[in-house]
Amino acid sequence: MLTVEQLSARYGRSVSALRDVSLTVPEGSVVAVLGSNGAGKSTLLRAISGTLGLHGGSITAGQIAWKGQRLDRLKPASIVRHRVLQVPEGRQIFGRMSVEENLRAGGLVAPASARAEAMERVHTLFPILKERAGQPAGLLSGGEQQMLAIGRALMSAPEILLLDEPSLGLAPQMVARIGSIVRDINATGTAVLLVEQNATMALRVADLAVVLEVGELALQGDAAELAASDEVQRLYLGGHAESERQAEEETTAARRGARARRPLGVWTP
Amino acid sequence: MSETVAAPITARPAGARKTLLLKTIGALALGVVVFLLPLYLSSQYLLVLMWVFTGAVGAMGLTMLIGQAGQLSLAHSFFVLVGGVSYAVYASPGDKDTIGFGLPTLLALVLAVVTTGLVGALFAPISGRLRGIYLGVASLSLVFLGFWLANQLPSIAGSASSGRYAPSLKLPGFDFGEQNPSLYVLNVEIGSAERSFWLFAALTALAYVAGRGALSGRVGRGWRAVRDNEAMATVMGVSVVRQKATAFAVSSAYAGLAGVMVVWWYSGLMKPDEAVDFGTYGTTVAISYLAMCVIGGLGSLGGSILGAAIVFGLPQLLPLLNGSTSAGSLSGTAFTPVVITNLIFGALIVLIIMFEPRGFAGLGQRIVRLVRR
Repeated sequence: MLTVEQLSARYGRSVSALRDVSLTVPEGSVVAVLGSNGAGKSTLLRAISGTLGLHGGSITAGQIAWKGQRLDRLKPASIVRHRVLQVPEGRQIFGRMSVEENLRAGGLVAPASARAEAMERVHTLFPILKERAGQPAGLLSGGEQQMLAIGRALMSAPEILLLDEPSLGLAPQMVARIGSIVRDINATGTAVLLVEQNATMALRVADLAVVLEVGELALQGDAAELAASDEVQRLYLGGHAESERQAEEETTAARRGARARRPLGVWTP
Repeated sequence: MSETVAAPITARPAGARKTLLLKTIGALALGVVVFLLPLYLSSQYLLVLMWVFTGAVGAMGLTMLIGQAGQLSLAHSFFVLVGGVSYAVYASPGDKDTIGFGLPTLLALVLAVVTTGLVGALFAPISGRLRGIYLGVASLSLVFLGFWLANQLPSIAGSASSGRYAPSLKLPGFDFGEQNPSLYVLNVEIGSAERSFWLFAALTALAYVAGRGALSGRVGRGWRAVRDNEAMATVMGVSVVRQKATAFAVSSAYAGLAGVMVVWWYSGLMKPDEAVDFGTYGTTVAISYLAMCVIGGLGSLGGSILGAAIVFGLPQLLPLLNGSTSAGSLSGTAFTPVVITNLIFGALIVLIIMFEPRGFAGLGQRIVRLVRR
């Protein structure tokens, strides 16, 4: 079980990114972290994986524990050895290395005995990565790169995977695919802490969910319950008839405004 | 850079076996040619090739550092100096002017390589913090430091005017510097030049094989991960600082071996430079090593051997070909071999960067692709 207690983090001296955030990820479960831009979602993951320092940030209070072992004082490398793995946002693959090498690089700190098995697991999950083994990773499509990033993390045989916006910039069909991949990974016993802006997908695959707002925990609970709650509907799912109508009106008004402004403009590109 | 893409991948087994067979045959053929060369070439040409081997060993170290680990170093000639000096100190017996331990030469060779590697690792606090050109400039300071230290400590490095002597390699029962035991191959007497040539060739082959092993395994993978994306490598549990330090240490160890070879090439003379920009261990040499790596294709071991052939080989070879052994300013023409070589490799660098930024290694890959088609 991963527990985050009263965690506060900041970047530099002034930017407070997290305040008193507490949450738990039970073993073998999927927990979604929702929130808008700048809510502190990525900061939370970085704090857990120990890479906050790479981004000029630090933990100012609170603690993080994984199976009773404090993680917040460990170096990133030892956190990986405790089989807590982060997949950072933006599909940061090694573009100049081949797909296979990317995967092997993921297993650099894993014990030799676990590597072959992990590779097989990755190839079963993502057959495309086996097909493309020899290709430079930079030539993969966006969705394939995301799979590679996840596959590479799986090479260290993680017990908990910290996924940061895996659906970012992907086509809707691919987003659904990522959702089912998260489920597949979870089905083999790996816990997942899933940070997502795509709340629909996240709430569909998660057991539990938390909502962060400007660095603070706003809501938390069962994923299905949250998906049904008015507040989440309004803020993240955009599913309300009322809000849809409102958005439509706003668009037409804006369009009308644009049309009205045009003849007045001196410079019309 | 170029070899990363072509790194060992799971190809079709049949094709892989065929490639392996071809490679083995090629390596054997090359080995035979290199073995037979001293029987047909005069010793002055052997010296040219030995100088190329020396450059190749150093350049292989540098190309791994720059191309595979992504760290620019302009201090390679400094590590060459460290290697040479360490060997001289370990191997020579020492006298009233110089310090020396008189260890067995093979042990001294190994110790010199290890010492240079450790000195490279000492640079880790700096190499771990700086990147790109900043690291390059910072490392350049080592060349000046080395020049100054070598001139300050004649008892260790030898005096800048006369230097000090270090013995050639003596294995139990086989002497590389003297005809002991005397040896005949195909009715040709194998003298010290031939012996040294074989030694240099063997050391180069050893350095190449070791480098290939390191690059295709976990060591190289860690370096490339750090080179491509430090943050990502950290997230995967790779210690960036340690990877950078290892890369610098390994690269320096290669330079150290090259340093020992330089001393042997000068028939055992270890002499510090009298000026920092010109000589055997100065800034010009540091840039020459960089040029070898660029010409060969950054990160490619094979390419760096070709780079050494051009940057170290041509200036030695050209005077032999036009018959004038002295290529000084008194030879009556503005186009001395050194000037011609400088023009050639200057032009080569410009051409390579314009048409094939991956250097000879890139060219080679293109040819291989053409042949396979």
